[in-house]
Amino acid sequence: MKALLARIKEMIVETWQVGDRIGRSKAVEVIEGEVEEMENIFGLLVLGSFVGMPSPPMQISLDLMPYMEKELILMLEKVDTASEPISQLFSIFNIG
Amino acid sequence: MMEKAINIFYMGKGGVGKSTSAALNSLFLAQKGFEVLLVSLDPAHNQSDIFEKKLSDSPKEIIPHLTAVEIDQEYWIKRYLKDVHNQINRTYSYLTSFNLEKYFKVIKYSPGLEEYALILGFKEVRRKFLQHDFLIFDMAPTALSLKFFTLPSLSLIWINHLLALRKEIIKKRELITKVRLLNKEIETDKVLSRIEASVKDYTSLKELFEDRERTKVNLVLNPDLLSFAESQRIVKGLKGINIFLNQIIINKILCDSSCEHIERELKGIPIIEAPFSETPLIGVNILAHFLKENENIMSTQPLKALQQALI
Repeated sequence: MKALLARIKEMIVETWQVGDRIGRSKAVEVIEGEVEEMENIFGLLVLGSFVGMPSPPMQISLDLMPYMEKELILMLEKVDTASEPISQLFSIFNIG
Repeated sequence: MMEKAINIFYMGKGGVGKSTSAALNSLFLAQKGFEVLLVSLDPAHNQSDIFEKKLSDSPKEIIPHLTAVEIDQEYWIKRYLKDVHNQINRTYSYLTSFNLEKYFKVIKYSPGLEEYALILGFKEVRRKFLQHDFLIFDMAPTALSLKFFTLPSLSLIWINHLLALRKEIIKKRELITKVRLLNKEIETDKVLSRIEASVKDYTSLKELFEDRERTKVNLVLNPDLLSFAESQRIVKGLKGINIFLNQIIINKILCDSSCEHIERELKGIPIIEAPFSETPLIGVNILAHFLKENENIMSTQPLKALQQALI
């Protein structure tokens, strides 16, 4: 009996933990999408000259460039998906 | 270590006598026993001709207490780009860094690097010679000089905007990390650290340029209308970034020259009138002779400022 109760308790805890993880993950997905967009904007502002955008004084871009590999790759990836903004938005909200 | 050196900049339209005025002032102060470094920031580098001595990026003695140096713009651009390139090679993956090679080949021709090269040279001079009494800068013609003085203010506008955006990104990232990984320690953002270092750097440079005790900007002009018109634009441009002139030197004055319009339009700024010299002012002896005959053309303002600073 005791063993059964312990097993039930264990199952409840496990279910709670999985639920918690799913809940947390859902809660931050939208924020993650937002952060990715902000990082892209930051990349465009600093390294915009790569994709033909007006950029800050050259030394500001160059000073920050060694620390911005992630933003640079993200920015170049975004150029590829720029023609499909709706599908990107749908994937953030998990529609379809 | 306390920064002692007072900066004196000589600005003006091309050909008005900036380099000669800077050379005369350097000579005057060195003859009074002060440690003076004359720095040529003008890519035309006239000081070698004026002192009849081949100058370079390492200081050469002109007379006791006076040394001169030329800032090589090309060298600073190359050195800066090489540093950035090396850093990228260290931090980026091989493929990304390889793809950037082409970009670096053309970047040295980018507008804006010229004035940054002068700023780098200026900072190096201040770092190395901060124990001198005076650092006298013979500036490039107007456009480049104004860009040089504007660079810190302009960069701060951009960098403060980037700082705000970066902080917002980090705030959101922290939120994600807290939710996903609970209280796992968040590592320092290197971009933010670099931005904050830049803010500090540009702010101190801006403050140095605006500080009328540590930085004195002298404007050289001739009595003619063209040079006067450009000088008015310089005064306006500098005022826009909170830099005010220390004094105006009206150079190459002839017997029939009228300076009333200059005195009227630029009132409030001390004016010094320097006569036209029949003999070309080339070589230490001729410069020293000219100084002896026209001692009144040298203002004692910087000396008073130095005395005050020492007190």
